Amino acid sequence: MAVKPKVAFFDFAGCEGDQLQVANLEERLLDILAHIEVVSFREIKTEHSDDYDIAFVEGSITRPEDEKRLKEIRENAGILVALGACATIGGINCLKNFINESEYRSTVYGSSARWYSTYASRPLSAVVPVDMDIHGCPIDKNEFATAVKELLLGKIYTPPDYPVCAECKMAGNICRYEQGQLCLGIVTRAGCKACCVTEGSFCWGCRGMAPEANLDAAARIMEDHGFTRLNAQDRLRLYFGCTDRAFNPG
Amino acid sequence: MKPDFSPYVPRPATLVAKNTLSEYVTLFEFAQDSGKTLAHRPGQFIQVSIYGVGEAPFSVSSPPQSDHHHFELAVRRTGSVTNALHNLQTGSKVGIRGPYGSYFPMQKFVGQDLLFAAGGLGYIPIRSVLYYMLRHREEYGDIILLVGTRHPRERIFTDQLEEISRRSDVHVLETVDVPDESWQGNVGVITTLFPKIRINPENTNVAMIGPPVMYRFVIDECAKLGIPQERIYVSLERRMKCGLGKCGHCQINGINCCTDGPVFCYTKIANLPEAF
Amino acid sequence: MVAYIVYLQQIPELLHKWSSSYDVYVPTRVEEHFYEFRPWQEKTHIAWDYDLAYSPLKVFFMPPREDLIHFDLHNYTASPVIKKTRQLLFGVHPYDIKAINQLDQLMGMDGVDVNYQNLRDNTVIFGLEPARVAETAFWAGVDAARVDFGFDLFWTRISPGAFLVRVGSAQGEEMLKMGSSITSATAAEKEAARRIHLRAAARADKQGLGFTWTQVPEFMNKFYSRKLYWREKAKTCLSCGSCNLVCPTCYCFDIQDETDDHLKQGKRYRQWDGCMLEGFSRIAGGLNFRPNPWERYRHRYMRKGKYIFDRIGELGCVGCGRCVKACTAKIANPKVVFSEIREAIKNEA
Repeated sequence: MAVKPKVAFFDFAGCEGDQLQVANLEERLLDILAHIEVVSFREIKTEHSDDYDIAFVEGSITRPEDEKRLKEIRENAGILVALGACATIGGINCLKNFINESEYRSTVYGSSARWYSTYASRPLSAVVPVDMDIHGCPIDKNEFATAVKELLLGKIYTPPDYPVCAECKMAGNICRYEQGQLCLGIVTRAGCKACCVTEGSFCWGCRGMAPEANLDAAARIMEDHGFTRLNAQDRLRLYFGCTDRAFNPG
Repeated sequence: MKPDFSPYVPRPATLVAKNTLSEYVTLFEFAQDSGKTLAHRPGQFIQVSIYGVGEAPFSVSSPPQSDHHHFELAVRRTGSVTNALHNLQTGSKVGIRGPYGSYFPMQKFVGQDLLFAAGGLGYIPIRSVLYYMLRHREEYGDIILLVGTRHPRERIFTDQLEEISRRSDVHVLETVDVPDESWQGNVGVITTLFPKIRINPENTNVAMIGPPVMYRFVIDECAKLGIPQERIYVSLERRMKCGLGKCGHCQINGINCCTDGPVFCYTKIANLPEAF
Repeated sequence: MVAYIVYLQQIPELLHKWSSSYDVYVPTRVEEHFYEFRPWQEKTHIAWDYDLAYSPLKVFFMPPREDLIHFDLHNYTASPVIKKTRQLLFGVHPYDIKAINQLDQLMGMDGVDVNYQNLRDNTVIFGLEPARVAETAFWAGVDAARVDFGFDLFWTRISPGAFLVRVGSAQGEEMLKMGSSITSATAAEKEAARRIHLRAAARADKQGLGFTWTQVPEFMNKFYSRKLYWREKAKTCLSCGSCNLVCPTCYCFDIQDETDDHLKQGKRYRQWDGCMLEGFSRIAGGLNFRPNPWERYRHRYMRKGKYIFDRIGELGCVGCGRCVKACTAKIANPKVVFSEIREAIKNEA
């Protein structure tokens, strides 16, 4: 590789947990850094430059003025990558989308609410075109490494488009529904290797809905397993808040 | 101990030339590093690897070369492997496996007429058959080549087609679906060329390759001309991942496109609803 | 038929000996009502009466993810990766042996799958007469209640403390004779094993198809074009591929590359894939030959009920009932599909 692509990291509303995952690659990160030049990454360095080829953007868009900054990043970057659930699907910030504006403003900012601007949380793709998604809350550092390597080889990483169930079967997990638990794996995009189920939990849906997710079927399955609409709604709102196909509160 | 053999191990080949055919399609000429000929037959495909990016199947576009280790692929930029191929500089290496699959029965065609129907990129594998026949021109009867393209700017191999159309022993007819100002030729889908040709149904074979929607219509036209189904050959496109009849991606009902195909006598697939 | 008697207390000694040259796997209870084949260790409690291993046994011959080649991005060389782990699967039920036999045949057609073949060739299989029938199983109805080949030994528990062991291969017999004082079975003991098999088969028969499986391919063929039926069946399909991946006779896979962090070397691996997944039949440029869940659902049942039969003369379903269990939408059920179609055709006639 003659010229190293210049890479920058940015964040909007989020916990920076995805950038932390990148930093968590530790020595692997050094090997990957040999192929790129990081010009901006608040998590690990202080300098900043606006000359970059690839932008990794974390966080969701929650204020009108975020849009301007994101559009500038889009303008500068050849490739824009959404990093983590907040950026790819609006993330957990979308919980506020189910509450009316005056309520969440006063809850968060109290009496000084009028000095702050805020609006419904949304993913980057609601504002600018995104070239590549790295899903998850937080992202899986190995998937990040794979995606970066593929970019360096001239390929846009495409995460699986099927539900997590397939990866549970490959991992040899016993289905959470057979154990009487509520699990969003049946409608959530795979690519995490079913890590939460493998570790003993259930799928929280952090990678967003699989493109062909059958929500009607999911509703029936949850109901057949004895879960109420409210059970399902609570779980779905955690990460599926910004998908217009999410269940309507009934 | 005998070293392990695996059919999944590609052989290295080197890109020797690259020629732009249209906005999205490029002709790649490769040479096998082994110096051996590819030994493919017209209609067969190979698997091309760009390590780290992946592997994808391509029909060989050049005719078999018994004396030459070069071969050609014409590739449309459409996915990650084809993108990576387009970004290669001459001298770069790729991995290849194959050739795989069935082929056009060149021996059966000897002494007979051939009608080619090529829709869009379907001309790429047809070219392998056509050039093979041109090299052994005296062994075959009349050759008619019908080429249909959506738009004039998507036409490929235009220089070569012009060269062939100047020959007296090949009848070339072209059409485009949507003309532009520069287009002087026929306008309409490929079936609009059929009224312009004369064939001897007793002695004509058909080789057709094109987008899935094309086949039924062209087959209907052939039926109208009285060409029996057992002399119609088609090649079908599927996503062959292994090329060995295992991975399942290229299944067409109960058959595998990679090992039972990609070239089929029409009678073999006429009753397969998933064929077209 | 050569057969021996092995007493329960002789088994640990044998397992010790076998495990010195094989990775030994035995059925164990992993959770209430759930069994899996797990590596045998000193303290492993073997679930002799297991009804069904939750995961299909193809994992031993075709792991969910398996390297095929190693490659070098700079000099463009590649070398095969072929595993030859010596494994012993102890306690395999007949329907699962039938599934392995079927895979042997399919993976050997049109050119041998060397990765599968090498693991298979290095695996010893000890069959076991099922003591219980899983609720979702119907193997008795699809000719999978007994197998005549595909095992090195076949074990039948003829009393709480004793097994009758039929010999299926010289290697199996040799392994059995590693035990001290293993005696030949008497005619009476063989008769006892035969009765136990008949009793097990009779129990399983209650959960059969209710008609002979040989009729299935013809029914399936007739029903292929009944879109309404397939659409209705697949209405709640999640396109999650669970039925494919737990099926002991499904073997489809995807192939992908992965490079090291230096971008110098890498590996190409295959990973389980399934025809129920949305992108399975998509070709370059985006055209999908089975874009709808009902088309994929139909394809899967056509393969199980007809296409595999056309190739090798038996159904592509061994009636293990794993897909019935794995399908959260409760629509995967070959027995129900075959029976409904038969019923519909009968009513039309």
